[in-house]
Amino acid sequence: MTGNEQTLPPATASAAYRICAMTICALVIGLGVSLAAIAFVEAVAWMNNALLISPRMRVQFDGSPWLITAATILVPVVGGLVVGVLLTRLSREKRALGPVDVLRSVQLALPPPGTRAGVLSTMAAVVSLGSGASVGQYGPLVYLGAMMGNILDRLNLRIPNFAAIAMSCGVAAAISTAFNAPIAGMVFAHEVVLRHYSIQAFAPTTVAAATGYVVANVVFERDALFLVQFSGVDHGYEFVLFGVLGLLAAGVAIGFMRLTLQCADLAARSAISPVLRPACAGLAVGITALWLPDVMGVGQEALRFATIEGAFQTWELALLVIAKIALTALCIGFGFAGGVFSPALLIGILFGALCWMLVDTTGLLATSGIVAYAICGMMAVTSAVIGAPLTTILIVFELTRNYDLTIAAMVAVVFSNLVSYRVYGRSLFDVQLARKGVDLSQGRDRARLSAQFVSDFLVDDVVMCTPNDPAGNVSRQAASAPWSEVFVLDGNSHLAGVFDTRNGAGDTSDPVSAFMKPVTLVFDETTTLATAMRQLEGFVGDVIPVVDAKSNRFVGMVTETAVIRAYLKATQDLRREENATA
Amino acid sequence: MQPHRMFIAVLFLCLATVGSRADEAITVVSWGGVYEDAQRRAIYDPFTRATGIEVKTAVYSGGVAALGARADKEGWDVIDMIEDQAITACDAGLLSRVEEHQVAEDHETTAAADDFLPGAFRTCSVAQNVYATVFAYNDRAFLGEKPATVSDFFDLKRFPGKRALQRTPDVILEWALMAEGVPITQVYDLLSTDRGLRLAFRKLDTLRGSIIWWQKVGTPADMLGDGRAVMASGYNGRFFSASQKDGAPITIVWDGQVIGYEVWAIARGARNQDTAQRFLRFATAPEQMAALAELIPYGPARRSALSRVGLHRKTGVPMRDHLPNAPQHSHRALYGDSLWYARTKDLRTKRFEAWLRGE
Repeated sequence: MTGNEQTLPPATASAAYRICAMTICALVIGLGVSLAAIAFVEAVAWMNNALLISPRMRVQFDGSPWLITAATILVPVVGGLVVGVLLTRLSREKRALGPVDVLRSVQLALPPPGTRAGVLSTMAAVVSLGSGASVGQYGPLVYLGAMMGNILDRLNLRIPNFAAIAMSCGVAAAISTAFNAPIAGMVFAHEVVLRHYSIQAFAPTTVAAATGYVVANVVFERDALFLVQFSGVDHGYEFVLFGVLGLLAAGVAIGFMRLTLQCADLAARSAISPVLRPACAGLAVGITALWLPDVMGVGQEALRFATIEGAFQTWELALLVIAKIALTALCIGFGFAGGVFSPALLIGILFGALCWMLVDTTGLLATSGIVAYAICGMMAVTSAVIGAPLTTILIVFELTRNYDLTIAAMVAVVFSNLVSYRVYGRSLFDVQLARKGVDLSQGRDRARLSAQFVSDFLVDDVVMCTPNDPAGNVSRQAASAPWSEVFVLDGNSHLAGVFDTRNGAGDTSDPVSAFMKPVTLVFDETTTLATAMRQLEGFVGDVIPVVDAKSNRFVGMVTETAVIRAYLKATQDLRREENATA
Repeated sequence: MQPHRMFIAVLFLCLATVGSRADEAITVVSWGGVYEDAQRRAIYDPFTRATGIEVKTAVYSGGVAALGARADKEGWDVIDMIEDQAITACDAGLLSRVEEHQVAEDHETTAAADDFLPGAFRTCSVAQNVYATVFAYNDRAFLGEKPATVSDFFDLKRFPGKRALQRTPDVILEWALMAEGVPITQVYDLLSTDRGLRLAFRKLDTLRGSIIWWQKVGTPADMLGDGRAVMASGYNGRFFSASQKDGAPITIVWDGQVIGYEVWAIARGARNQDTAQRFLRFATAPEQMAALAELIPYGPARRSALSRVGLHRKTGVPMRDHLPNAPQHSHRALYGDSLWYARTKDLRTKRFEAWLRGE
């Protein structure tokens, strides 16, 4: 293969075919995902009712308090056990899958975890939410969408970037269905998953989001997640308060994200068997719920109460914010399957309501009521956690269709995102990915280069020698190779130096050690393309040795050309993807 | 042996007499007033004409307690009930279990289950019509701006005056939450929490001192008519009749209407269960349902009947506009959750009584 061949795009079918096929796929994905998402939500609601988690069922057994107490404690514990078995015994991934896996797969152009793991993870999420764990439903829905998108990738339709776009279509349809917000669904797919804007991806994600909306809203006539009535912002100075609320919300979001990851670390360090970990978190939820029933599940009721003045006391709000943050972090860290999106919405709305109550109690400023502050808090915390300011602003707009409220939320969201991005990171997903070695903060190209290892380009025909070999013999052996460097290894296969056959050693029988020079650049199996490219600056030579990072033994070598070629290909692929039109 | 045989013969004679009497007459219990008048014309009289069985009537004001106290004593057979009360009575063993085919017949090619509204058949009852608890106001009380939403019912500043309310925790708590801005779909979810109940009673507190309680279903329309109250809760059919028939200045506000199923049930102690079932099959036929809706605006519980509803028999008013399940009224309608109602009755009553005592 020559360098020229690599610059040509891969062979694909005609543009008309690609557009038609992609659109049909987007429709199919949109339809499938929205039906699956509705089934998911219904299954969770059914379980909540059957297991006495939903207040509407609990109140009907008000006469049997022991039954309610038993259900409150036992259901999350047993649910945790089931989740533990599903994930650690049956799934090969040994953990719940979520937006992070979608993001990784799309950004690095890698296949996502297998369908079996995805299905098990989705089942675990239904059980988690159904048994009242303090986790969210959108993360699993996003993964479900991406998984269904990825199934179509197996058809091998000869469309470039198909896998990434199909997964994004699934994500867009899932969000669109769940929130009844198609624009937000489409934007979420771009903002969180794709991380770029191309016409090729824009059209299908929009089709999928619209399909999800039509199925949820027109066919099934499902209600929107959240409806609020709001007459408008009465005072100009309140926008300053919204901004301040955004700044404070960033602190809450950062605290929430930090605690979530710390709980995961704690779980990993703890002596509790992974299969029992979710049950432990379930026990904590159950015991807390005896006094604070609002912490269970998604918390639709608390979400609504937060917009009603006087529904909560100030201390109740503060307590709930803390309890919800702690329990969600515990549930996710200890292995329940679920997301952070809905808990972030609840934590945010409670925090927003709390801030309004504090302002209102002082009596210094007249305000436009609790609704605006609750919604601002909700979106400010959520946008910082999921790293999607545009999506959250659009969700407000689509759910409330209220321009004033959208602008208010926008102000809060912007300040919240600014602070949390600077202090912590773009989102919980990004930080989780960075901990796995995929750092998206320096750009997509950097992340993709960091995911490829130079050890993948090892050269087969390596000429090696020992320090005592006669230089003439070695030169003759290496004569046919396209490069002049020969690596000199000691008895333990450790690199002793490099011998350059062009150094005029000629036919001398002197040992190689007399002519060899120290090696200036060494790669190991952990060296990524990104690091390699940085280290190659100023390097003179054709080949670079690769050693085993632990034993330091020589394992092979890579050519500088191969590294540069891989780098060019990666950047070209990205450029093609980001500028693709069909 | 003679006296013994004589005794058996007399016994047989008595039983036969009782049996034939049961065939000849059936006691149907309903709510009296205009509603029962409509039922007589649309159902009872046609039933007697078709079968020769006389329909006797008794009047009650709902409630499970009345059933326990009076059913056996007065020989009740068939009872017209509110669905949640029928569920409670069924659980208490006061009603007979009924199978779908015993109480309703298919309509042409449509199976009864598909023709009736969802959830129409329960263990001891079959839905017959759809009624709404609405609030209405006296037109003359508000000459300028008129109440239009549930929030207005609680707005004593803009709409001052007495409110007539039924002395039960039903519906008023739902309205209280709606007035707090809770969407219709979430009302029961929120009312299921202690916080929701507290909020509802807090809203009801704003009306304290301006409430007149009513107990009999005919009263609220009278209270509006004679000016004792400016707004009143009540059943849509009663308000309709008062304004149409008596010319009372009453306007119904459909916002936040709470829709419930009115059901037929058979008393456990009914002497002739077969006749009672026969009556139910007759009463739930589309013809009778539509005929009732043409006299009093309670929506038929089966689809085939809804399409038959035409003009009011006397006044010529198009009746479909006045049915609770008419499309123009249904976007802000709350469908009552009968099972929830039945199972939370004690809790709500306890809290309501405490609130009445001012706790």
